[in-house]
Amino acid sequence: MNELAPDTYLTDDGRKIGPPVLEMKNITLRFGGVTAIKDISFDIREGEIRAIIGPNGAGKSSMLNVINGFYHPQEGEIWFRGARRPSMKPYEVARQGIARTFQNIALFKGMSTLDNIMTGRNTMMKSGLLAQAIWWGKAEREEIYHREQVEKVIDFLEIQHIRKTPVGRLPYGLQKRVELGRALAAEPKLLLLDEPMAGMNVEEKEDMSRFILDVNDEFGTTIALIEHDMGVVMDISDRVVVMDYGRKIGDGTPEEVRSNPEVIDAYLGVSHD
Amino acid sequence: MAEISASSAELASIPALLERNARKYAARPAYREKEYGIWQSWTWLETHEEIRALALGMLDLGVAQGDHVAIIGANRPALYWSMVAAQMCGAVPVPLYQDAVAEEMAYVLEHCGARFVVAEDQEQVDKVLEIQDRVGHIEHIIYHDKRGMRKYDHSRMNALEDVQATGRAAHHRFEEELKRRTDALGYDDTCVMLYTSGTTGRPKGVVLSNRNIIEASKSSSEFDHLTEKESVLAYLPMAWVGDFIFSIGQAMWNGFCVNCPESAETMYENLHEIGPTYFFAPPRYFEQRITLLTIRMEDAGTFKKWLFKHFMEHARKVGPKLMDGEPVGFGDRMKYALGNVLVYGPVRNRAGMSNVRIGYTAGEAIGPEIFEFWRSLGINLKQLYGQTEASVFITQQPDGEVRADTVGVPSPGVEVKIGETGEVFYRSPGTFVEYYKNAESTASTKDPEGWVATGDAGFFEEGTGHLRIIDRAKDVGKMADGSLFAPKYVENKLKFYPNILEAVVFGGGRDRCCAFINIDLTAVGNWAERNNISYGSYQELAGHPQVLATVQEHVEEMNASLAEDKMLAGCQIHRFLILHKELDADDGELTRTRKVRRRIIEEKYADLITALYDGSGSVSTTTEVTYEDGRKGSISATLEIRDAEVAHVRAGTLEAAE
Amino acid sequence: MEFLKSIFVDPFVDMVAAPDFLLQVLWEGLVSGVLYALIALGFVLIFRSSRIFNFAQGIMVVFAALTLVGLHAAGLPAWVAFAATLGVMFLLAVGIERIVLRPLVNQPDIILFMATIGITLFLVGGGEIIFGGENKVMISDELGIPDGSLEFNPFDGFVLVEARDVTVVFGAVVMVGALLAFLNYSRMGRAIRALGDDHQAALSVGISLTTIWVLVWFLAGIIALMTGIAWGSRAGVSFALEIIALKALPVLMLGGLESITGAIVGGIAIGLLEKLFEIYWGQPLLGGSTEAWFAYVLALVVLLFRPQGLFGEKIIERV
Repeated sequence: MNELAPDTYLTDDGRKIGPPVLEMKNITLRFGGVTAIKDISFDIREGEIRAIIGPNGAGKSSMLNVINGFYHPQEGEIWFRGARRPSMKPYEVARQGIARTFQNIALFKGMSTLDNIMTGRNTMMKSGLLAQAIWWGKAEREEIYHREQVEKVIDFLEIQHIRKTPVGRLPYGLQKRVELGRALAAEPKLLLLDEPMAGMNVEEKEDMSRFILDVNDEFGTTIALIEHDMGVVMDISDRVVVMDYGRKIGDGTPEEVRSNPEVIDAYLGVSHD
Repeated sequence: MAEISASSAELASIPALLERNARKYAARPAYREKEYGIWQSWTWLETHEEIRALALGMLDLGVAQGDHVAIIGANRPALYWSMVAAQMCGAVPVPLYQDAVAEEMAYVLEHCGARFVVAEDQEQVDKVLEIQDRVGHIEHIIYHDKRGMRKYDHSRMNALEDVQATGRAAHHRFEEELKRRTDALGYDDTCVMLYTSGTTGRPKGVVLSNRNIIEASKSSSEFDHLTEKESVLAYLPMAWVGDFIFSIGQAMWNGFCVNCPESAETMYENLHEIGPTYFFAPPRYFEQRITLLTIRMEDAGTFKKWLFKHFMEHARKVGPKLMDGEPVGFGDRMKYALGNVLVYGPVRNRAGMSNVRIGYTAGEAIGPEIFEFWRSLGINLKQLYGQTEASVFITQQPDGEVRADTVGVPSPGVEVKIGETGEVFYRSPGTFVEYYKNAESTASTKDPEGWVATGDAGFFEEGTGHLRIIDRAKDVGKMADGSLFAPKYVENKLKFYPNILEAVVFGGGRDRCCAFINIDLTAVGNWAERNNISYGSYQELAGHPQVLATVQEHVEEMNASLAEDKMLAGCQIHRFLILHKELDADDGELTRTRKVRRRIIEEKYADLITALYDGSGSVSTTTEVTYEDGRKGSISATLEIRDAEVAHVRAGTLEAAE
Repeated sequence: MEFLKSIFVDPFVDMVAAPDFLLQVLWEGLVSGVLYALIALGFVLIFRSSRIFNFAQGIMVVFAALTLVGLHAAGLPAWVAFAATLGVMFLLAVGIERIVLRPLVNQPDIILFMATIGITLFLVGGGEIIFGGENKVMISDELGIPDGSLEFNPFDGFVLVEARDVTVVFGAVVMVGALLAFLNYSRMGRAIRALGDDHQAALSVGISLTTIWVLVWFLAGIIALMTGIAWGSRAGVSFALEIIALKALPVLMLGGLESITGAIVGGIAIGLLEKLFEIYWGQPLLGGSTEAWFAYVLALVVLLFRPQGLFGEKIIERV
């Protein structure tokens, strides 16, 4: 067996987990007088599925928005791929290789599934405006290449039958899948999923879990996901961060987290719904 | 039976036909498959190379002569190739229904003793792995789609393309052996083994020889003048004899092109893109397309609706006559031509039927309105009657002699006779060799002279010589008062209503008939949507009073029409209920080809049947259901039982009317 | 009775009596309709991608035409002047994005609308200072737009078609085709549509607001230049052109603010109808000059029955 690089280990099912891709160091985020995130640190390692869970209002979504560049923390540092990241706009973050989905599905509703997923490759398309305007050879070749990549994503997510359908007309579960497809098309270094299973029935949840695991397994994509519902997440994550009222109250493997008394309190002791 | 027909002496096996096609039709397309949004295609020459590489790889894995190689998956060129590759190695391909749960699969795999399994993807591999310990003799799995397979233990499995690569690399080692085995294939060697889904009992392995398949393919191709220019869409289960005949037998005999859809969901779209020239679909399919079209027309503008209605009426009047070459007035011809541009052409095109030269339907009775609808559009849709044991063909309708209520005349080379009990018997070159490892069933089905009992009751129509099928022989019974009980006939009549998906009629040995109904979720759901009726599930919709009322209307209308026929008047439905779940093959209530399994339903829903006959107004019940992944659950419901009006037959009126 | 007849019968009798004249009227209507459609298209493009109702679209037409003529007068050959004008329109787009739009990001729509009025005033003032306020002649000959006219003789009558108008219609068709292809089949086109559909999502896939806004304003600038050349070659180049640009308003009411098809069909419909009305109803019954107001009245009537316009997307919210 090959020697593993330092800071790298294998999981039970043979996936390789590498050094941290993203490190959040002492992040604090305030909106006016309200502190949404209070001095939180954690990291996300290459190749792992990392979950951030917590009751409603725990600050999970804010955390995702910080990573994604929608919000800028007042204190703390973000390190991405070994370098400190300056304050960035969301589209700059996207170009760095961080793709995301949204809790309430933010698709381009008037556009087809294919076009939606094509936009996911936006950051990777290079040909100049003039070339595009007249569809010069290079632009055409590029378009065809990217279309091929997108078709692989469509095949992977088994959505061939809705390729040409405007996404606004699709049922909820399929829209979620298209959104995942758009994020995947960007071949992200880090994929952020904001409540990927919210509003789904049991069967749809199982499908989505399978796709998340498959994405991680097939492409080795590092995934960070937020979930409100503990059940599914515990089954598919390698490590879990638990947040409550903007603080981190637990961090570790699902087993560790599950036996953490503070987590049990947050989830079971007080009803939050 | 012993003589070999001269033309096929040197073409005594599928691999031999493949070799001929690679020479004769080298550059013509043999297989197409839509993948990644593009139709990939293989010529006969390329196909030959792919299959040979796979066969060499199989030799390397140790496939032996006489082995059974199980093939599980949806229609993919690679899986068709596996069947032929197995044949080249002297092994026998055994295609399995891909939607079978692991349990069902275990029986077949065990029974045929397969050492090798070719599986389409992870899902099928998982099923095989689940039962591998129990079945024991499975040595190696070859899978087609690599997705998700990376972390599996590969000591006993391989990707199909890797097997091909090994085969290519090892060609010097195995070429001679492969040639020896392929050359040794004779006309009476086994070509394929197909398991019949069987309406009762365990599935039986029907052994079909090269003679069976090739003779049946040859004479049916001649019957319909098929050529190498045909193109078919392969979308029906590979384990079904029809698909084997259309996509392997006839395709190999004629050298035509087999197209595989991207996925089951894209079938309609792919059909539209390919526009096959030769097409088979069960009656249910033709019915669903009309339901879809009707729904679309209901959403269309007034003018479009009028146009559609107006020209469809005209088509109904003159379309079938034009098709059968009967005289039609000039004005009517011109109007039909206009309708062709405005309505018929677009409808045919939408349905992917623009190029269909010959269409067939079979398996169960087709509604006359449905049949006439397609024919009036100018599509040469015909019926055939057949079964696995006959290599499909028993009777077929010749061009120009097509009707909804017969199944045609005996196919070329087939003899048909009616037994004393009314049962249909046949004898033909396509007649199967035996049921595998089941001499008893073989003997009770095929007599020493080669006559096979179909299990269907029927009769030859006087004058035309066309065969008419009434029902399963064992299902045609008597009611308590001795009048005829033909449940399937009644069920089919009910199913011709778009709102009714499935019906099960009871009444054998009883004083009157009652029925279970399954509503069609597409049609009724659409109706509900248009009328702002919200529903959360099939169950909720099925229990809606307005739905019950509509179904009652249908039942009563059918009763009235049954009453017109003195023989069948006793089969009128007195009481019925709408089932709280859809009858499902996963629950064993239907066969994989979606035929009703009467006995199982009678046992499972005994409480409901009792309620139908004891006069109660409603009944509460709990039913076990199986989900797609094999888990079980249960549904509870209280069902309303409705009384339907029954028309009284007065012998006198009927006599007068006749 | 006589009055009703003059409204409901006579005009149609006239149309049938002189079909060649009717054709002539329809052609004239089509040409102005195409120009209205072009201006409306500029509005739609900007509205779709940024929700800004661009009041300045009209003055951009004038500004572009003035620049072209001015640069040619300064000694540049016609086609060089054309290319240079494109450059100016690009700089204008960059400038608008930098100076006006970027600081106003996330402000209410009305503020942005006001800002475009500001742009209008700036361009009017700037244009007058640089190029002077007097009327100018479009350099259509220099640009190779054919002169002269073609005569047809349908229905034993005659119809006169200006070669210039044919060029205008043809050019407009080509440009709209190219624009649609660009929007549908290129990365940037997709990005423009995406941004119009969902802002946040567009940002998350790495679409930069800045780039797309510059691009969209530049496209609107190109359309403005084309419209300016077309209209200028028919009526000369002056600040009065801006008034014509206001015709885009009823077109937008008719076609909806977001629909490209709507802009095209709406523009042509208004061009045709106002011309027909003027000739067959306006002149005999109302003493003419109805073209000044007919389009607005028509738009109001349509709005009474279809508030989303003829082609506006019906907004269905999922519950």
